[in-house]
Amino acid sequence: MMTAIDALTTTRYADVIRLRAVRMVAPHGFGYLGQALSSAELFATLYSRHYDPGRDSLVVSPGHYIIAAFAAAPEAGLLDVEALATYGFDDSMLEAIGTERSPAVDLTGGSLGMGLSGAAGLALADRLLGRSGARVFAVVSDGELEEGQVWEAALFAAHNRLGSLTVLLDANDSQVDGPVSSITTLEPIAAKWESFGWAAFDVDGHDTAAIDEALSAATADPRPAVVIGRTSTKHGLSVLPEGADGHFIKLPAQLAEAAIKELEARLA
Amino acid sequence: MLKQPYPTVMKPYGRALVDLARKRPEILCLTGDLTRQTEIDLFQEQIPERFIHGGMAEANMISMAGALARRGFLPFVHTFGVFATRRPLDQIINSVAYPNLPVRIVGFMPGLSSPGGPSHQAIDDVALMRAVPNMTVVDLADATQIRAALPSIADIPGPVYLRLKRGEIPVIFEDDHEFSLTTAQTLIEGTDLAVIASGMMLSSAISAADTLTAVGVSASVINVPVIKPLDADSIIRAVSGVSAVITAENHSVIGGLGSAVAETMAEAALAVPLRRIGLRDTFAEGSRTASHLFRRYRLGTQDIVDTAWELLRREGRSPRVQAAEAAEGEYAPV
Repeated sequence: MMTAIDALTTTRYADVIRLRAVRMVAPHGFGYLGQALSSAELFATLYSRHYDPGRDSLVVSPGHYIIAAFAAAPEAGLLDVEALATYGFDDSMLEAIGTERSPAVDLTGGSLGMGLSGAAGLALADRLLGRSGARVFAVVSDGELEEGQVWEAALFAAHNRLGSLTVLLDANDSQVDGPVSSITTLEPIAAKWESFGWAAFDVDGHDTAAIDEALSAATADPRPAVVIGRTSTKHGLSVLPEGADGHFIKLPAQLAEAAIKELEARLA
Repeated sequence: MLKQPYPTVMKPYGRALVDLARKRPEILCLTGDLTRQTEIDLFQEQIPERFIHGGMAEANMISMAGALARRGFLPFVHTFGVFATRRPLDQIINSVAYPNLPVRIVGFMPGLSSPGGPSHQAIDDVALMRAVPNMTVVDLADATQIRAALPSIADIPGPVYLRLKRGEIPVIFEDDHEFSLTTAQTLIEGTDLAVIASGMMLSSAISAADTLTAVGVSASVINVPVIKPLDADSIIRAVSGVSAVITAENHSVIGGLGSAVAETMAEAALAVPLRRIGLRDTFAEGSRTASHLFRRYRLGTQDIVDTAWELLRREGRSPRVQAAEAAEGEYAPV
């Protein structure tokens, strides 16, 4: 693993992701900050302990989460930290919803539910190319589980024993219209994946030790595996108002300033 | 017609649907996790017993809507235009269009009006829906038309794809505006050039015609809210007397309004020079603002004027468009 990562504790790395995400969203006044707040520990743990960009592939299925991948990328040597300031501006390579030219990931996209099929394809390609030891990590959101294609991919991956495939499922219970649980009953999530032939690990998605342990078990398991991280779109940022919309957080200048202050104080 | 910059209103479609549904108990309102964005939060609040949350599962929602229509309901299905037409295309064809069921598929945020990048830009929805037998395709330009059109759209016996702008909706037409599903409207008469437009590009066409008229080019503007079935007679009439034709659509130039007009002209053996303003067979990256994309991909009013100038072989530099300044709550085209 890279020394830049070793210098940070994983928890601290998660807060670095949060701080960068706040700074990326702040100039626009709103954006996909909730996705970064809920997935910060998942990305931090994955990047610091499990994901090797030189060997593995990374899929960010919901393109709205690309903000977190960008914010995490500098420590992995995948993106210059200066580039983050262009996020979301006209003509930037760093578009707010992931596109075909988004740097720092192998695959992303803004039409939800397609990423797991892509990840299965990358894992299959690794097998066909004889790239033993290569892993595919796919960040998937709980809202995406409403799309049928996710389950088509899950069936395919288990049937074809794509054991190199690991899903990090950000279960933040947030979608555009409100809590996922108010729109579609997904539970029991872990039992669903298990019944499809996957290994499933259900953890607190803000507990880096628990995520680390689950990722170790997931990658060791011969089956494709899912780490379900139970998270919140407001985690780690107490200044956010109670009713903040997790899908698209409004961040006026004053709130952005308070958020930066809170995170800088914690990182000091 | 009102003058630019146009006043805007919020949720004209959402209000019109609620009003219509109060008179028509068979109307159902379905959402694919974009309730507020498609103006139907009003329906959810006021007629919750006929509001159905399909979740983020478009394929299921469309096939289910087909079955609801088989039992006598009139389902209006709502999401962004991309998700309404791309993913569930097979379901639209087999569960709705082939059995010719009265499902209304309402797709918001057309063409380059989305800041969400290529995955969120409906640049091919008109082309896809035009290719589906039995489907009526409607692309509306303003709030007055939305209110006027909705009852007649509800009465179409087969499936309909309705394409609507998201957010602030301009008011272009006066209250007494009459909407017709069968007749394209000549809004401005002209003898040199015909500009044929739909949806968000109508205001650009009007602005371009104003600019050209001021320098002695007589330009007509034809509004085509119903792209399929196309009112071929009106198109032929509009094209017959002029020296050049321009179509303007917030969509790919392949398969949409421009293609429909070209097909009509070719089959009528009308050899008038034609140019299509629209997205030129490319995905549109680099977006934060819609106005930036309209300029960058040459869907602006100036692009219509420049194209007309070239097509009519006028001398010198084309006239500059004096863009109306839109204050907060107003709308003017790029």
